[in-house]
Amino acid sequence: MLEARSAQAQSPAAVRSRIIELTVNGERHEILVKPRNTIVEVLREKIGLMGTKHGCEQGACGVCTVLLDGRAVLGCLTLAVECDGKSVRTVEGLAQGGQLSPIQQAFLDQGAVQCGYCTAGMLMSATALLERNPKPSIAEIKKALEGNICRCTGYNAIVAAIQQASGQGVEPVMR
Amino acid sequence: MILFDFEYEPARSLPEASALLSRLGEGARAMGGGTDLLPKMRIAITRPTAIVGLSGIEPEPPSVTAEGGLRIDGLTTLAALARAPLVTTNLPMLAESARVVGSDQVREMGTLAGNLCQDTRCLELNQKHDYQFKAKCFKRGGECCYPFPNNRPGRCWSVYMSDIAPALIALNAEIETVHAAGGRRLAVAEMFSGQGIDPISLEPAELISAVITPPLPANFGWGYHKSSRRGGFEYAIAVIAVTLTLDASRQACTDARIVIGAIREKPVRVHEAERVLVGQTIDDALFAETVNAAVGEARPLRHHGFSRSYLIDNLRIYLRRVLIRAVERARGHASTT
Ligand SMILES: Cc1cc2nc3c(=O)[nH]c(=O)nc-3n(C[C@H](O)[C@H](O)[C@H](O)COP(=O)(O)OP(=O)(O)OC[C@H]3O[C@@H](n4cnc5c(N)ncnc54)[C@H](O)[C@@H]3O)c2cc1C
Ligand code: SF4
Ligand code: FES
Ligand code: FES
Repeated sequence: MLEARSAQAQSPAAVRSRIIELTVNGERHEILVKPRNTIVEVLREKIGLMGTKHGCEQGACGVCTVLLDGRAVLGCLTLAVECDGKSVRTVEGLAQGGQLSPIQQAFLDQGAVQCGYCTAGMLMSATALLERNPKPSIAEIKKALEGNICRCTGYNAIVAAIQQASGQGVEPVMR
Repeated sequence: MILFDFEYEPARSLPEASALLSRLGEGARAMGGGTDLLPKMRIAITRPTAIVGLSGIEPEPPSVTAEGGLRIDGLTTLAALARAPLVTTNLPMLAESARVVGSDQVREMGTLAGNLCQDTRCLELNQKHDYQFKAKCFKRGGECCYPFPNNRPGRCWSVYMSDIAPALIALNAEIETVHAAGGRRLAVAEMFSGQGIDPISLEPAELISAVITPPLPANFGWGYHKSSRRGGFEYAIAVIAVTLTLDASRQACTDARIVIGAIREKPVRVHEAERVLVGQTIDDALFAETVNAAVGEARPLRHHGFSRSYLIDNLRIYLRRVLIRAVERARGHASTT
């Protein structure tokens, strides 16, 4: 790969790796990382959790959203070394005991998943929203999801899913 | 993936961070939320040799100063800034300017100091796909400028896109810095060089510890507007921030600060337009005259696909609306939130 080769040529000096302690969906891990590794790389490549996606890698699409100590952050712009001692929740942590979380179920019920590439990020942003604000208005839902881009659904079904999950009188349409 | 290696040093306090930056030398950069720095590192237009991480330092909560203004820690995240009751009640304009930055995720990560120190942007520079196959432009140490091919060597017309800086300049805020040679206080308006290549004029290893706003006078009003393509999650087309004070009869303007952001290498304060407004009785004709003066003075650079004439039209429409809103607030006709 052209870029990787030139990158190596420019920084030949070996940078120390270090061990970080990370709790992922309640499970403790000790992981060896380099400063340049992001949390998404660690989740996908070192822990094997493929739910969190890589997209723009520029902060501009939201597919990499995870909850870091409860706050929705962009995994593509979070260095793993900065997560030492912290707790991360990913889409794999939403279902409990084989039971989808209400927000996951509502996404299915509303047809809010098409290609599914944005879904993990949407679910994490929606989860953060509902933990902060259990009955958000439509305007609040749209504001909270402004950082998550979907190219398929047109967003209406996603907004409806969050209304359904928060018990605001929206009935399932896909059964 | 970031394609090059760098050292990472966590700092426990800002003085320690400043000392680390000095020790690690020219290639070291401070990092707050990393939302401005890391996207640039991902496309390798910035290649620090070391990062000094500020994220482990707990910011102080906002407080009221002895003068009656606010003191806000530079490491405060934009989400915390937009939510802090002291900010939403005392300085709703600042809360509003933080609320319109990026997305929930960017605001959870990004800090106030990082927002002010963000780099200028240009469609040619901040893109992922083609940059590595193109000759470097002036900003990257090369010998050309793509959008402005006639620019003389070294002149870069990239644009400073902070949504918060125009609000802070309109509020006459100051920054407080930490540096080995002793910190200082300076007006937010003074922290910019006006040069696209190196837009922030702080010293190396000088860090922003706090933003301090002065108390607000009686009959004070504000207006703020950010134009963007989607109305959310976008850098600005243009930002307009206005503060003004009316006399006791609330008919005439006694003081005004009008700042336009995201149209040049730094926020532009339109002094001529302010002079037109101040000392006069407020009416429609005065608004029109003020807007005309601002348009003559602002000299926007075309950026991100927006032509100069589009930006001027934008300014004509929104500056008038923002002025009207500021006067309404100063007269107590609109709620201040
Ligand atoms: C998708 C996306 C959308 C965005 N949209 C907007 C927008 O609409 N409006 C807007 O204004 N910005 C926007 N931003 C830009 C930026 O991310 C935010 O403004 C954010 O507040 C930057 O803060 P940070 O802490 O993440 O900065 P960092 O990336 O950590 O730092 C930015 C710069 O400031 C320096 N720095 C950091 N902390 C300090 C300090 N304490 N003292 C001195 N220097 C310091 C760093 O060395 C670096 O040069 C966007 C970013 C992304 C990724
Ligand atoms: S305006 Fe500045 S950043 Fe953009 S191409 Fe020209 S020199 Fe480069
Ligand atoms: S991959 Fe992180 S925002 Fe797009
Ligand atoms: S479902 Fe395809 S991007 Fe959202």
